[in-house]
Amino acid sequence: MYMSQEPVVRLSNVTKKIGSKTIIDRLTLDIPAGQVYGFLGPNGSGKTTTIRMMVGLMSITEGDIVICGSSVKTDFEKAIAHIGAIVENPEMYKFLTGYQNMVHYARMSGVGKERIDEAVALVGLEKRIHDKVKTYSLGMRQRLGVAQAILQRPKLLILDEPTNGLDPQGIRELRDYLRVLAREEGTTVFVSSHLLSEMELMCDTVAIIQSGKLIDVRSLKAEDLEDQYAETGFEVSEPQRALELAPAGRLEEGRLIVTVNREQIADLNSRLVAAGIKVYGIQVLTRSLEDQFLEMTGGGQIG
Amino acid sequence: MGNFLALVQNENMKIYRRWRTWIMLALIVLLPILFGIIIAVNDGAFGSNMGAWSAASNLSFIYFLVSIFSVVIAADIVASEFTWGTIKLLLIRPWTRSKVLLSKLLAVLLFAIAISVLFTAVTAAISLILFPASPPVNASGPSTFDYFIKMLFYKFIDVLVITVFSFMISAVFRASGLAIGLSMFLLFASGILSAILSPAKYAWAKYLLFNNMDLSQYAMRESAGIAANADGMSLGFSVTVLVVYVAAFLIIAWMVFTRRDVAA
Repeated sequence: MYMSQEPVVRLSNVTKKIGSKTIIDRLTLDIPAGQVYGFLGPNGSGKTTTIRMMVGLMSITEGDIVICGSSVKTDFEKAIAHIGAIVENPEMYKFLTGYQNMVHYARMSGVGKERIDEAVALVGLEKRIHDKVKTYSLGMRQRLGVAQAILQRPKLLILDEPTNGLDPQGIRELRDYLRVLAREEGTTVFVSSHLLSEMELMCDTVAIIQSGKLIDVRSLKAEDLEDQYAETGFEVSEPQRALELAPAGRLEEGRLIVTVNREQIADLNSRLVAAGIKVYGIQVLTRSLEDQFLEMTGGGQIG
Repeated sequence: MGNFLALVQNENMKIYRRWRTWIMLALIVLLPILFGIIIAVNDGAFGSNMGAWSAASNLSFIYFLVSIFSVVIAADIVASEFTWGTIKLLLIRPWTRSKVLLSKLLAVLLFAIAISVLFTAVTAAISLILFPASPPVNASGPSTFDYFIKMLFYKFIDVLVITVFSFMISAVFRASGLAIGLSMFLLFASGILSAILSPAKYAWAKYLLFNNMDLSQYAMRESAGIAANADGMSLGFSVTVLVVYVAAFLIIAWMVFTRRDVAA
């Protein structure tokens, strides 16, 4: 067993070059155990390439990827045994039934029939599992994809753009499985997307990539957000006097603007009130994560 | 982790769970029966008394279909995983690419053997049923069981070579159409190519694949009274050349399949 503080995945200086073009540039990233970890970037930023290197579909030009202590480069069979994945769309053998598809993958991982039934039950596909996959809707194929990915109880579940082409109900269901997996099976989930709103709903942490470079890693957990400082506007009756109480701030359109965290908002508010200044409104002004993301990634241009 | 035979079992499942495989097998059973009856009817009309093994040797031209079907299965086994996109899920299992490729090769060879055995059994059975006249005791040449089996065995070697060729194209170019096309070309054109690039004209031509594929040529030469090792070729020589070609095909398939990125 590896220790809990050891990351499930360690990417160190991972570089991918195709010809003279550098697709991924010295990407270094640790994915801690038990998290739902988001991998965010505009289309063409290198998310899928990174994931393909993690699962051994693409070679790593420089650097290394270590999964639970085993290198994908030098110890592939051991490293990949910890991973369950869907890379892009869940493509299945359409002329086989869902169950035969599961048997196919179960044989490769040395997994028994009970586990197939368990995985199929978890994604709620029992009723249609003996039908041919060609009769499945995209949502059902996605469920079968999740079922094959969790079949061998992987420590790490990788999903590449899992919500592509799913309707809102399908997206909701997928989110629910991921939560169940992370909580009940202790699986670390690594999920890529170009939609921030989606990431905010399911991830604990988000790494942002652009043009093959890691540009930010930030926590989305509520307790961490409490520590974050944000520009906050106070709408008050006497702005000049309020500024004396908060010298670090500034005045803008008759409002007092200060950079504070959650606790400090409450503090400043009580001091203002104690000084006899009326507070009509308090508003957190920081741009949403979405705005920041768009700014950082240049509005989603292909890098 | 499971055992390696499970991988071969998977490949077999993917071959035999498709309708077209059963259509191929059905044709291999039905065609010898159909042509056997046609020959029997004509034979009766001409009043001759063909022996069972002469009839079987005549029917063995249908073995050509075995080559075609083996080529189709080999052409598809790697390329279709890429076409379907299932290669991405197949290669992210605790098995190296070499082992996945080996399991596919074994499944293809098993299919070629199975369909050859099926053809031989059906042809022998229908010949014995339709042509019950016992051959002369001191029969030789095309009217004996030995001749029939020997000819089929030579053709089987031919099938193995062309199947491995198709398998290589499938693994290298990931396109089953190209694999089928090139293999068929090699199969159909080898006679013409042999005539143009004949070892009798060019000394180096004896190393070409298609000049060595027909191993029955040495038995023919013998019965025709030509020196078996004319133009520096012999059965042993041809077998060696074929082994070298097959090894080269497999090494190329393996090198490309295990190294190239899967970006589809």
